[in-house]
Amino acid sequence: MKLMKYLAIVLLGILVLFTSGCAPKINTITKGEKFPKMYDQQPRSLLILPPMNESTDAEAKDYYMTTVEMPFALMGYYVMPVEIVNDVMKQEGITNTEMLYDLPLNKLQEYFGADAVLYTRIKKWDTSYMVVASHLTVSVDSEIVSTKTSEKLWSYNGTVVQDLTNRSNGGGGLAELIVNVIATAINTATADYVKYARIANIKLTSSVPTGPYHESHMKDQGIQIIDQIPVK
Amino acid sequence: MKKILKKVKYIVPVIAVIILAGCAPQPAKPLYNYAGYSDSYYAYKKNMTPESTLQLEKSIEEAINGTENSRSGRVAPGMHANLGYLYLKAGKPNEAIASFTIEKTVYPESTLFMDKLITRIKASEGTKK
Repeated sequence: MKLMKYLAIVLLGILVLFTSGCAPKINTITKGEKFPKMYDQQPRSLLILPPMNESTDAEAKDYYMTTVEMPFALMGYYVMPVEIVNDVMKQEGITNTEMLYDLPLNKLQEYFGADAVLYTRIKKWDTSYMVVASHLTVSVDSEIVSTKTSEKLWSYNGTVVQDLTNRSNGGGGLAELIVNVIATAINTATADYVKYARIANIKLTSSVPTGPYHESHMKDQGIQIIDQIPVK
Repeated sequence: MKKILKKVKYIVPVIAVIILAGCAPQPAKPLYNYAGYSDSYYAYKKNMTPESTLQLEKSIEEAINGTENSRSGRVAPGMHANLGYLYLKAGKPNEAIASFTIEKTVYPESTLFMDKLITRIKASEGTKK
């Protein structure tokens, strides 16, 4: 019996370790409590606007844009095809994202007929490289705003920090250090941000109440999510 | 003692599965089959060539024809519209209109936007004649 008690404690410990791996911040809240307006308004369609690039990488916008449609569609929403939306807006003379993000919601509603607009802001898309160590960060702020009431229905941040440092387990010494430094430099140069952007998107979209094309639509109010404080 | 250990042997993998499933819920089939769309679209944005365009078109067609590998049995939102847009850029307005029309049928939410696109195509075709 004593053994059982001991095992219970160990298992509990493992559970805590694992879950803390998933979510470093322990504050949780249900989807229903955090985003009640999503359940009130129940938008069916999302107009995904091209992302606002606030990172230091000029290419981030075009590349990140290719990752957004899929995760939101898989959460049960009709998503307007972002490539066509982007080109049509350009043809209409709206050539930069700042102009686009300033457009009145009713204009967007008239043009695309979407129930809500999805804004995405790329906050970070870079690598901090310090020769012996390297970290890649992709961070995206996202929000869904109703085109009917102009209310913010949902907002969340998705951040992924990936360690690109090469650490081989040798005997140490200068030769090994050099090998690691070179490998870290190669990791940094060849890192595919889009791969990490997709992971950041999974973090984002897992907090979205599911849409009408998903089986758990209007049944997921009780799902626990991390109650994050927006990263500035 | 032995009995308990035996029990524990079963409990541990079960807990492991529950924990891992909690990290990444993975149902057997996704809601939609996107085939290689995401990778092809990324490759296309990186480098717009006839090859990457063809690969994107192929991926979309695979997604459209592979709906049995999805929970919904339905093509993903925007797939027909995206295919139609590739047709339009390739100078095939009739095929484009056909694809935009299918998008409307599968997803009525797209009606207003698809009608706008169709009207534009018809208008520019009209001015050509």
